[in-house]
Amino acid sequence: MKNDNASTTASASIRTNEKSRRHFLKGFTTMLGGVAVGSLVTGNAISVAMAYVPSNDNMLTDGKIFNKNQLVLLKQICSIVIPKTDTLGAAEVDTHGFIDNQLYHCHTKEDQNTVLALLTLIDSRAKQQGSNSFIKLTAKQQFQLLTELDLGEHSFDQIQRADFKLLKQYICFGYYTSEVGATQELRYDPVPGGFKGSIPYKKSDPTWATRGLFN
Amino acid sequence: MKEQVYINKSSEVYDAIVIGSGISGGWAAKEFCERGYKTLMIERGGVVEHRKDYSGENTPLWKQEHRGKVENILVDQQHNIQKQCYAFGNATKQLFGNDRDLPYTTKPGTEFSWIRGNMLGGKSLLWHRQTYRLGEYDFNANKLDGYGNDWPIRTKDIEKWYSHVEIHAGISGSKENLPNLPDSEFLPPFEMMAPEKAIKAKFAELYPERPLIMGRTAHLTKPSKLHISQGRVQCQARNECHAGCSYGAYFSTQSSTLPAAAKTGNLHIAPNSVVHSLIYDEKTNRVKGVRVIDNNDLSEREYFAKVIFVCASTIGSTQILMNSTSKKFPNGIANSSGVLGHYLMDHNYNSVASGDIDGFENEYYSGRRPSGLMMPNFYYKPDPKRGFLRGYALGASAYREGWDSQQHQDGLGVEYKNKIKQAGKWRFGLYAQGEMLPRFENQMRLHPTLKDKWGIPQIEFDVRYTENEQLMMEDAAEQSIKMLKAAGLKNVSGRSTHRPPGIAIHELGTARMGRDPKTSILNGFNQSHDIPNLFVTDGASFCSSAVQNPSLTFMALTARAVDYAVKEVAAKRI
Repeated sequence: MKNDNASTTASASIRTNEKSRRHFLKGFTTMLGGVAVGSLVTGNAISVAMAYVPSNDNMLTDGKIFNKNQLVLLKQICSIVIPKTDTLGAAEVDTHGFIDNQLYHCHTKEDQNTVLALLTLIDSRAKQQGSNSFIKLTAKQQFQLLTELDLGEHSFDQIQRADFKLLKQYICFGYYTSEVGATQELRYDPVPGGFKGSIPYKKSDPTWATRGLFN
Repeated sequence: MKEQVYINKSSEVYDAIVIGSGISGGWAAKEFCERGYKTLMIERGGVVEHRKDYSGENTPLWKQEHRGKVENILVDQQHNIQKQCYAFGNATKQLFGNDRDLPYTTKPGTEFSWIRGNMLGGKSLLWHRQTYRLGEYDFNANKLDGYGNDWPIRTKDIEKWYSHVEIHAGISGSKENLPNLPDSEFLPPFEMMAPEKAIKAKFAELYPERPLIMGRTAHLTKPSKLHISQGRVQCQARNECHAGCSYGAYFSTQSSTLPAAAKTGNLHIAPNSVVHSLIYDEKTNRVKGVRVIDNNDLSEREYFAKVIFVCASTIGSTQILMNSTSKKFPNGIANSSGVLGHYLMDHNYNSVASGDIDGFENEYYSGRRPSGLMMPNFYYKPDPKRGFLRGYALGASAYREGWDSQQHQDGLGVEYKNKIKQAGKWRFGLYAQGEMLPRFENQMRLHPTLKDKWGIPQIEFDVRYTENEQLMMEDAAEQSIKMLKAAGLKNVSGRSTHRPPGIAIHELGTARMGRDPKTSILNGFNQSHDIPNLFVTDGASFCSSAVQNPSLTFMALTARAVDYAVKEVAAKRI
């Protein structure tokens, strides 16, 4: 499979960049040194909820919302919207699996149904081009079909275009909030150390991945 | 210090009880403890320990459950109101109240969003840390147009207490010598970004009466020796403050007032103690103590003290007073005037405007600044031609578009990915924070039948924005659009919005100060007119909302009230 290498790289980078919260606290105590004020009596244990763990498995199985075939299609759309360049793309960091999980837990039924209907639409248009399914089209045909959808051109209307924009948002959210998206494709500094209002910028510089906790 | 700081049952008569552990409660405890008072701080929620319990801190989105969002089922069942707060998310949700356990009602046809932080530290952990003094124009406002009662204090009464709390808390900002917004004791301000500096210069030229200044915040841009001795270091510009700051680079109870109070050895804390009511002794006309319901097992207990400070948040404090009834005070303790629960205010954040800034392609910034800019209220002098009373401040900030803006463009593939990777155009926005008039009709009251799980009557709100607030926000949108266009911004748009009262989380009034015991609950030292050993020092005591973020004034009023109370005790008048 062509994605094998990419997937291995993704999981390796996720592992090597692991730095736990406990490690953060330990480093912090060192930094404060002698001036640390003792904490007051005992508190609650640190509780860290489980984050979505990207899968490296290319053998997709049914998800929480999407069945196996729908996930294969969504993965292919991810790889077209945000492909692998000198950094991994959306498919390699399991954005499709993330979307399945995220839509299930944090979105409305309406949002879920919008994406399901969109996947059906994409496959049915592929069939009109004489293919069994979208993923059986050539790479060029796939790109062409999604471009038409993205622009609301040819057989696609503006509502379908808006729905695809929504799916692109889910893909972008999944990708740019992943470790690869935030730290390799974009720039992320967990502890900047202070704020500087002016630094030089040139066009090849990546943008900051975040402006803070809520934006 | 550590041994037995936390207590459960106690028959001791403390020198002082402080109800609440937020910004006001923390200050009250610190000031009492440092004056040698054995102090009991009562907190309705559980313990949150500095550093140890900031479970969402320093956790990048990819390591957070649902990348920072909160699961539907949890929101539906526990956080249907709290979710309206901008700071509600996966990393902070444990610091917000559980709406299922904290029901309240609104009078049909009205709305009120009540955001809760019921744990040790209260909303001092969740506030946005904007810190502004009130000025002479603010203290005079009610007197001049007749809305609300006259504040019984002026800047000369409170300025040294502002200085006192500012030096300890650490306030960053720039000295401006403005008539409408007094300066604080400042640490250096945060830096402005290049386009912000340019717009500031443009406004200075076009609107000399409307200066744009750096926001003033309780963040340590350059900690003093005092701050370092408190175990606090410089702001690291993560802008993840609401998840908890182990650097203590911001002001919170845990980072600042609690360690100071605990150091004296005079502090005790009763966590998980929901105050049901105050215990009143009619013979001596004093409050003897408080009745508490255990947060967890609902058992009852009592605590006793010589002086009682109610610092339970605006709504929380007044709820306690209202639920403390006796033969002498059938409508709530200290309520001989009948105004308890009335004149409820919030700030009105209901106007936004923004536009694109040309140029500055070679400019960027580093770090995440936990503050924006501020244009102080330029309508501080009354003017009948304006068509509405009072005024508004405008918050402001620039940003350069990142992936979250650029994702919406057309395109796919390598080209799309590479475009998103680059920083986009600069944008700049203004939002209003407007004064809300003190009106008798805007009120909270105890629901006649509904109670919460602790057996305490629920609050029913009856609060409305009126035409004055609406006209003000329409003006704010109009002025903002006009100023942005005049400064040369492109694609300027703006509008007034309709978010409910309460959502600014600046609840004020309901137990107001005043000179006349017939029309106010508290005197000019936050002391009950009716009962000498009872004080309310949080936002409930405000006579008007002004436009400034109120927390710094909670601190100063509280420190001042403790100083007064201790002197009154020494003089045997309490």
